[in-house]
Amino acid sequence: MKKVLIYIGIFITFIFIYLLQSNLFTWFNIAGVQPNLFVILILFCGLFTGKNSGLICGVIFGILLDLFLQTSVIIEPIMLGILGYVSGILAKNFSKENRLNIMIMVIATTFIYEIGVYTLKIIINSLQLEILEFIRIVLIETIYNAMITIIIYPMFQHLGLKVEDKLFGNKILRYF
Amino acid sequence: MNFINKNKKSSIIGILITIIILIILVIVTNNNSMHMEGIAGKIVMPIQNGLTYLKNKITGNNEFFIDIKNLRTENEELKQNNKELEQQLRELEIIKAENEMLKEYTNLTEKYSEYKTIPAYIINRDISNLSENIVINVGSNDGVEPNMCVISEKGLVGYVVSSTENTAKVQTIIDTSTNVSSIITTTRDSIVCKGILDSDTTIKATYIPIDATLAIGDTVETSGMGGIYPRGITIGTIKEIVNTKNIADRYAIVETAVDFAKLETVLVIK
Repeated sequence: MKKVLIYIGIFITFIFIYLLQSNLFTWFNIAGVQPNLFVILILFCGLFTGKNSGLICGVIFGILLDLFLQTSVIIEPIMLGILGYVSGILAKNFSKENRLNIMIMVIATTFIYEIGVYTLKIIINSLQLEILEFIRIVLIETIYNAMITIIIYPMFQHLGLKVEDKLFGNKILRYF
Repeated sequence: MNFINKNKKSSIIGILITIIILIILVIVTNNNSMHMEGIAGKIVMPIQNGLTYLKNKITGNNEFFIDIKNLRTENEELKQNNKELEQQLRELEIIKAENEMLKEYTNLTEKYSEYKTIPAYIINRDISNLSENIVINVGSNDGVEPNMCVISEKGLVGYVVSSTENTAKVQTIIDTSTNVSSIITTTRDSIVCKGILDSDTTIKATYIPIDATLAIGDTVETSGMGGIYPRGITIGTIKEIVNTKNIADRYAIVETAVDFAKLETVLVIK
């Protein structure tokens, strides 16, 4: 029952983030570039709920995002799924207590996610590569995501550790 | 314990500093001096108001208490008037907005009277930095189908990629995956316009014929080839011509006629 509630909570957070992205961040942007809070959400899912849950959340949210706005349902589920799975693996190797670790993870995952999305877009839609403009967008988005992480991580860390306790109980390594 | 408290304090200070930097970045990069003026005004104006009030009070001190009763009643009346006027203003603003919306619709339908059109509102915009799709509030129930052309009062918007019962997804011409077969209105040279990551207000005109003569300010419109976009819909005007070593590779930057940031109403051509 508690697990179901946790996943409902994650889904509500997804909807909330979707509304934020499509309303607030369309004007609260840096040089026309919005942050990508979905990357942060999936990263936290993977970190606190494990790699399999991260993968499932990533794929489901990716499908929803593509259904809402994109022309084909393929890129977001693949990239967010990979992101969720990798985050679950990262959780075992890096400490979640250290904010710098989390920042580095957010920067790395945003970078990898955007490069993956753009590569897939180029392959699927046979786009012309615009490397300099792409780098500008990715750099700004990464910085924006990192700044948002600094602001929201204390709250998410608290919630995440509670979720982790409920899901994994005494199997968590941090208690040893 | 002190160490923990200190740590918490520094973390809160860190968060606050980040929020401030973020807000400054957003304001500065959106490059609106109006915002800065507004902020400066908000900081300075209350102080200035206070000082002016004090100055006025000191200079007009003799007359201050003379007619205080009359002033009070007059003030009440004025407050009442003000309330009524505010109410009227609100009503007028609503009527004005409705009027503008209807005017926009009428202009749109008159301009493209040769086509059967379905009016629609934009209800959602893309959240990705790499694509530029929009969602409109009409769908298959209203007769909207994939590959239908979408226009606005000023020109071409894009085409419908998919539709549900009550909504439709539109891929705009500024999306990087869109290619529009077009012609230069004056010389009738055919070109291909495609969206670029670089900007939301410009697109790139490529495959310019070697013998074509382009000029800044030339209008670009749809050619009618390809089967999606009807012929003669304005796309934009040439803003810049970029010449390369190989003349076959030269391209032009076209400023779109439609301002996608402010776009609210569109027409779907049946």
